[in-house]
Amino acid sequence: MIRLETVTKSYSSDVIAVRDASFEIAKGEFVFLVGPSGSGKSTLLRLMNRQEQPERGTVWVAGKDINDMPESKVPYLRRTIGNIFQDYKLLPNKTVFENVAFALEVIGRPRHVIRQQVPAVLELVGLADKEDRFPHQLSGGEQQRVSIARAFVNRPLILLADEPTGNLDPGTGEGIMRLLDRINSTGTTVVMATHDTRVVNMMRRRVVQLDRGVIVRDQERGVYD
Amino acid sequence: MLSKISYALRETAAGFRRNVTLTAAAIITSAVSLLLVGTTFLIQRAFDNLLTRWKGDVELIVYVRSDATLEQVQLIEGALKSQPSIIDVDRLRYLNQAESYAEAERLFAGDPGTLRLLTPENIPSQFKVVPIAEDSALVRELGEQFRQLAGVKEVAYAQDVFDVVSRVSQFIRVATTAMSIILLVVAVGLIWNTIRTAMFARRREIEVMKLVGATNWFIRIPFMLEGLVQGLVGGVLSCLGLWGLNTAWTNAVTDFNDTELAALVVTDGYASWVMVLLLGIGALAGAVGSGIAASRFLDV
Repeated sequence: MIRLETVTKSYSSDVIAVRDASFEIAKGEFVFLVGPSGSGKSTLLRLMNRQEQPERGTVWVAGKDINDMPESKVPYLRRTIGNIFQDYKLLPNKTVFENVAFALEVIGRPRHVIRQQVPAVLELVGLADKEDRFPHQLSGGEQQRVSIARAFVNRPLILLADEPTGNLDPGTGEGIMRLLDRINSTGTTVVMATHDTRVVNMMRRRVVQLDRGVIVRDQERGVYD
Repeated sequence: MLSKISYALRETAAGFRRNVTLTAAAIITSAVSLLLVGTTFLIQRAFDNLLTRWKGDVELIVYVRSDATLEQVQLIEGALKSQPSIIDVDRLRYLNQAESYAEAERLFAGDPGTLRLLTPENIPSQFKVVPIAEDSALVRELGEQFRQLAGVKEVAYAQDVFDVVSRVSQFIRVATTAMSIILLVVAVGLIWNTIRTAMFARRREIEVMKLVGATNWFIRIPFMLEGLVQGLVGGVLSCLGLWGLNTAWTNAVTDFNDTELAALVVTDGYASWVMVLLLGIGALAGAVGSGIAASRFLDV
């Protein structure tokens, strides 16, 4: 589903974010990218949805070289990828329903599809009764669930999560992980960058560890060292 | 498709509400600059009208009394043709009363008062004379001779009108063109800035839109539409202003009945064309200004 071949990305001549990274993620896999802050986890995620372009190497997503792709095709790539962030990136002036509907609206989905799919996905993330609330009326965990609903409402092939439990207390974080696990079990590939030792150890999935931009470990059913 | 259109319209309307002061400034500036553009066009046209009767290098007009006899007219024509060293005989043109009246209808279109006094019966017919001689004093001397002939009502010289008109019109043309270009640039800049501010205010939304796979055009179009409407509203205001100015001027000129100034008016048909042009320029400037801004700041 995702393949990186000797990918290098630097932000300036002396700051190399990712160096010679090569690995492959199969369809339906759940992968943790771990490592301290600044080790290149987020950059790897940003390379996978072409928010960044590498200096060298190739990034393949769903069989396509995404760096070779014309700018006009990028939106269609992104429709197959859901994104979740540490700070949720919800729109404060829109309700829960509108936030999720927004993702469908801006890619031109007709209204009857929106009316059908948004309640279904809110049901999935456990927020069916809160669709008229605004983000500031929700707890952190609930806001993250809205953001997951928004990322998943279009049934993407891939879900990229950047520290999704970073702002949450351990119990709430566990709930988010169970939700991501459920989404993964529907066949969606999940790639999650984190330095949350607890969730990695709890899940026992593949772990790719980075240190100053270099992959130092790639382990099936791994733990966070 | 329908949902896309309604999205674009809703976002455009929301854009205006969010940013009332900047929007108003952009609209007013574009209205003023377009008004100047339109005024420039009308002034040009008015001067052109003023000079219509001197078209085709005509520099001398011999007006013939409306009660002149056929013999008198033929006598004048003969006298003119007997001066081939001074005037271009081949290009000598005689406008009979009907033709002169048709010309007057155009000349005094904005001045019904004067026009009403004229009829195809009482209007003077005219000889339009193109001189060959370079020496304008010679032409003038000839004109004075003709003034003495029986049946001649008046002799008019282009030079007198040209000197004044061309100097005034040149000055006005340069001044208004320069001002309207500067103001147009300012208007585009203001629209550009309004759109930039609108996009900055919505950078989180745009970021989310890009991440969930909205196309750049989808993001851009409401902003471009906002700019286009600003330009268009500016255009409408400038049209209203232009119409008011033109009407006021036409009324004012009626007071100069007997002078050359009476021809310095623009008929409605041409003014409407200019207004359509203004709306077009306004819409285009708005769309271009906001389009450039939208593209530049899409990477927020």
